[in-house]
Amino acid sequence: MEIRIDNLTKKFGDVVGVENLTLHIDDGEFVAFLGPSGCGKTTTLLTLAGIYKPTDGLIRFGDRVVNTVQPKDRNIGMVFQSYALYPHMTIFQNIAYPLKLKKVPKNEQNEQVRRVANVMGIGDLLDRRPGQLSGGQQQRVALGRALVKEPDVLLFDEPLSNLDARLRLTMRGEIKHLQKNLGITSIYVTHDQVEAMTMADRIAVMNLGHLQAFDAPDELYDRPKTRFVAGFVGNPPMNFLDVEVSRLNGQFLAEADAIRLPLGAERGEPPAGHPGAVVMGIRPEDIQIADDGDVRGEIFVVEPLGREDLIDVRIGSNSFILLADTEKQYRAGQPVALKFDMSQAQFFDPQTERSLLWRQ
Amino acid sequence: MTARESLFDSGKLKVEEAPPALARDLKDGLRLGVIGILVMLGAAFFLSGIVGPLFALGNVEETVMDVLTRLALLALPFVAYIAAASVARRYTVRDSPRALGLALTTTVILFAAISAGHYVFNYGVFAPRPSLQMTLRQTDAGIRVEALVAGGAADTAEMQVGDVITAIRRDRVDLAAFNKRLSQSEADAPLRLRFMRGDEELQETVRVILVSDKQLSVLLPGLLFGLAFTAIIVFLPGHWAPYIALVGLLSPLLVGYFWVIVATFSYRTEGLVPLDSNDNFGGFTLKNWESIFAGNISGLEFNIWPILMTSLAIAVVMTFVVLLVSSMAGYALSRMHFPGRRFFLSFTLILHGFPAITLLIPIFIVLLRLGNMPIIGEVIGFNTIGGIALVMVAFQLPLGVWLMKGFFDNIPWDMERSALIDGASRFRTYWEILLPQIRPGLLALGIFAFIGGWNAYIIPATYSIGTGLSNLPVFLNELIDETAPVDWNQVAAVGLFQLIPIFIFFIFAQEYLLNIYAGGTKGSS
Ligand SMILES: Nc1ncnc2c1ncn2[C@@H]1O[C@H](COP(=O)(O)OP(=O)(O)OP(=O)(O)O)[C@@H](O)[C@H]1O
Ligand SMILES: [Mg+2]
Repeated sequence: MEIRIDNLTKKFGDVVGVENLTLHIDDGEFVAFLGPSGCGKTTTLLTLAGIYKPTDGLIRFGDRVVNTVQPKDRNIGMVFQSYALYPHMTIFQNIAYPLKLKKVPKNEQNEQVRRVANVMGIGDLLDRRPGQLSGGQQQRVALGRALVKEPDVLLFDEPLSNLDARLRLTMRGEIKHLQKNLGITSIYVTHDQVEAMTMADRIAVMNLGHLQAFDAPDELYDRPKTRFVAGFVGNPPMNFLDVEVSRLNGQFLAEADAIRLPLGAERGEPPAGHPGAVVMGIRPEDIQIADDGDVRGEIFVVEPLGREDLIDVRIGSNSFILLADTEKQYRAGQPVALKFDMSQAQFFDPQTERSLLWRQ
Repeated sequence: MTARESLFDSGKLKVEEAPPALARDLKDGLRLGVIGILVMLGAAFFLSGIVGPLFALGNVEETVMDVLTRLALLALPFVAYIAAASVARRYTVRDSPRALGLALTTTVILFAAISAGHYVFNYGVFAPRPSLQMTLRQTDAGIRVEALVAGGAADTAEMQVGDVITAIRRDRVDLAAFNKRLSQSEADAPLRLRFMRGDEELQETVRVILVSDKQLSVLLPGLLFGLAFTAIIVFLPGHWAPYIALVGLLSPLLVGYFWVIVATFSYRTEGLVPLDSNDNFGGFTLKNWESIFAGNISGLEFNIWPILMTSLAIAVVMTFVVLLVSSMAGYALSRMHFPGRRFFLSFTLILHGFPAITLLIPIFIVLLRLGNMPIIGEVIGFNTIGGIALVMVAFQLPLGVWLMKGFFDNIPWDMERSALIDGASRFRTYWEILLPQIRPGLLALGIFAFIGGWNAYIIPATYSIGTGLSNLPVFLNELIDETAPVDWNQVAAVGLFQLIPIFIFFIFAQEYLLNIYAGGTKGSS
């Protein structure tokens, strides 16, 4: 089922949930909504589900405008963060509930519930009640309940955020796998960017009720169109600093305080054309500690992450986050030289926060 | 660990810290209380016994003294409070549970003492009771006079040993009936006795006089019990205090229930002791219960079943309607935005605080008008069960709506959204998904409503005047009004009869109720 959202606005009194959202989702696509808390992800999802009525704008499922269609007539399945299982019903009854409402005959219900339960690996829990299940099992039940009625659209609202890291990893794979097999158009809300990056065909990044970007994960990572997207996608986040970019006999140079970094023409040309200072962004993995580094600084903090150390290096008033091998055993206070891979640098207009390299 | 366990755990800990201090504190409190009580009693005696007579010349002074005396007596409970507070105060900041425990225990003990005193002197064995000052014995011929107190009431009326009493006025009596009649007479009431002296039938009017003729020995068990009770409280470890306090506070209730049960199965009771016609222990009978079903109590003819059905109808209709309306209104108020929602909420709260009595007359008029309407009037008008239930429902609804709203507020939105998305209509969501979540609330409200309806008195009594329509409480009142002398043992039987359904109800709902109070629904995550 193709979903087309045009200029969708949802307000709660004066509070803006989501504003002027336009998004076209292809049939069978897996789209993630990514954004910080309170940016309107859940609001958008619930509006799609028909729980909220749009204040303005159009929502189409295929060719049908569904703005005023009741939730029960939309044929969607939804998985909530809280799972929202019905505590007074057994697992069987929980999963069978959508079928019962569709007036599917009893024996068929039985068959379908068992099939879905087996796929989800909860076939032997059908007689229990939700209260007697672990979080992971409840999660599977919720997923099973959403799937059993063979919905046209699947909506996920942070379905994995209550699980431990390991289980989250497994479930991530399973959901992705199921979705691809069934080919159901899916929207997956999360504020965990790893989840979004690994699972989604395309990611819609939202902030403060507005759509910031809607692109494939690699695109968002390599060619962020706004400073917000650049900062939000990627972990640890991108380093930003204010620089002046100038052209010097065919060479480009980014300068800030004691930092002087040469640039290639491809990256240097657009910011050099911009009057005044610009914001430069550089990802932690594009900075190395090297003896022949261009810039000298001092280690401020070392945070061990296990495989790597997260290192905060201060250069003058600027601070850079970067990753280094644990074996090097860097300590706070140690002077180091840094090498920047400027072919990966991003530049943004400080006023509009739009990228100077990639136009929308 | 449940809250209960942790409470008592902490109680134990504190006892181990400083066991002797608690007993000392209690003793301090009790000593203070006893001294206070004695002082107040002394003051009362001084005022009424010494100052009073000195000024007894004029009426005004006497009244003033009376008032002062009564004030001193009234202040007794406050002495208990003050004594309790003075020991509890030492701990209020450092250890409030102990302060609370101390205050409670001290108050309970002192109160028990004060109440016992009141009881003994006003109602108990020391209380004056009506007497004719002669000893009687039941014989085949009638009640034979065995002995007379010289100069006593009977003697003054010129009764003689050997007279055989047969009737009071024209009512033939045996000894039991005689004693009963006597016990219900007031001081100085004339009793015209018919008796046989030899072969001669005579009449004498004897005036009832109040005497207190009991021996101190009767008091001894009570006194011992009191002492034991006090000793237990003073010397037991601290964590027992809540139990003792509970028992102390509940004991009047328990004694009351005990009396009701004993009374319904006995011929006559003196205090808590069932007596037969000769004033001896015993006299158990089923006649109080039989007469309920036979439909005749002290000459008042009735049929218990329609009365029972009326009670039941009011209670059931009320429970059903209150549950339905409250849960639906509560759902709407909890989940929906509509104009006037806030106003409605605050308004119902005010309504809940509104005393029902003040509305009796306006509602009376409304019901009268409703009664004049065709068809509707037959169901919910004046003098109909429907009308009574309607009014009672209206009074119960504000509480119900608020209660239900609170319960719905606690259900996560997601559950309902999930049901809607699964394909349920709004009503189905409410009925199949939400109502089961608030079952404890429904049960609690249902119990309130049922008991409220079952025990309803003022509204059924007001809006069913002039009809044969009455429920059990109204009937109970009729029983007291229309029979003379009132047979309290039979009234108790009707009262207990009224309680039976509630007992049954609680026995079945007990586990569920305990679950509610022990914290929320069982088995939910
Ligand atoms: N029912 C509501 N009434 C009023 N305001 C609401 C309501 N639901 C959401 N909002 C507001 O709309 C904005 C978007 O909320 P939304 O729940 O969509 O955020 P979210 O992106 O899902 O955040 P999170 O990641 O924390 O779940 C927030 O500012 C929120 O306070
Ligand atoms: Mg959300």
